[in-house]
Amino acid sequence: MTEKFDDKLDRAARELATEISPKRDLWPGIAEAIATPKRSRWTPILAQAAAIVLLVGTSSAVTYIATKDSNGPIVSVAPELVFEQAAFGGNYHLGPGFQDARNSLRDDLDVELARLSDEAREDVQANLALIHQAIIDINVALEQEPDNVLLQQKLLRAYREELSLLRRVGGLTRNVMRRNDI
Amino acid sequence: MEALLTATSSDYSREMVSAPPKSVAGEEVWIGQAQRSDARAFEALYRLHVDKVYGLCLRMTGNVSEAEDCTQETFIQAWNKILKFRGDSAFSTWLHRIAVNTVLGRIRKSKREQDRIQAVNDVQPARVATGDTGELRDLAEAVDRLPERARHVFVLHAVYGYSHDEAAEMMGIAAGTSKAQLHRARRLLVQQLEEQGFDA
Repeated sequence: MTEKFDDKLDRAARELATEISPKRDLWPGIAEAIATPKRSRWTPILAQAAAIVLLVGTSSAVTYIATKDSNGPIVSVAPELVFEQAAFGGNYHLGPGFQDARNSLRDDLDVELARLSDEAREDVQANLALIHQAIIDINVALEQEPDNVLLQQKLLRAYREELSLLRRVGGLTRNVMRRNDI
Repeated sequence: MEALLTATSSDYSREMVSAPPKSVAGEEVWIGQAQRSDARAFEALYRLHVDKVYGLCLRMTGNVSEAEDCTQETFIQAWNKILKFRGDSAFSTWLHRIAVNTVLGRIRKSKREQDRIQAVNDVQPARVATGDTGELRDLAEAVDRLPERARHVFVLHAVYGYSHDEAAEMMGIAAGTSKAQLHRARRLLVQQLEEQGFDA
């Protein structure tokens, strides 16, 4: 390969057309694709937002309960606090140990909540409702993207937050009881 | 050879890209509007840049249908990522990067490249209308026949004028590899073109 040929090749390459019009208009296909929102673009954001709300809500509730006296009257617990099935995406199930702990705490929840003040109880219920809503939202997203690892992690974290809150409610009320007893 | 080359000026008519006007002056505004999810502004960007993107896709793939798919995919990805465009490079360069990634991604995914090379070797290739004439047609066709990586480097560096660093970064290879592939491409092109009487 001579230098002369090289130069000619380079010059010729520079002369090749760099802008070529497609024979057909490609825009309609693009327009159709961008008109349909990409699920993967939004669901992680929603899930993340839900997780943040969940985290903030849970933390606030726990902090509130921990710093609040619980001398209010004992009242019955709102029956509308319903727990959904502990499964997600149709492909995953929580382990039996986790499920047992969750069921046990759920059974005691009404009693524990009844020991809290009205305000504290409402806060706990509101935060549990938040967690449950987050679980439902993430489950919906997981149905569309069952292999989304981020969503799976968020859901697992939501279940853990729920369990943690249930445990803390039980522990706090027992502490309150001991203080009251004294 | 010439009998295979039937491109005419009508092959790259611009009639279908008449509106909105191709004004670079409006590009910045359209980018801003597209970043606020204005599909109409994004269409203006498409009209402005489609020939550059399609040209690159066609040169890299050597296949009209594949180039069309890559062009569409490039713009769809550009729409999805447009919030990430900060103007650090020209918008056309940003689109070119997406286009190169798209082409390479599709090749990796579908292995169609191997089929394409086989088809070129085995049967008479379908003519790709690039607008090149005379010896340039011969060169374009010879480029089409290059092995995948050598062709990509040659197209990015020799045709589109990207530096070895830029081409290497786009392709995810080392600059030295880009240089080696360019050398390989030149050597193979010389062999092909000499056989066709390309006059040095």
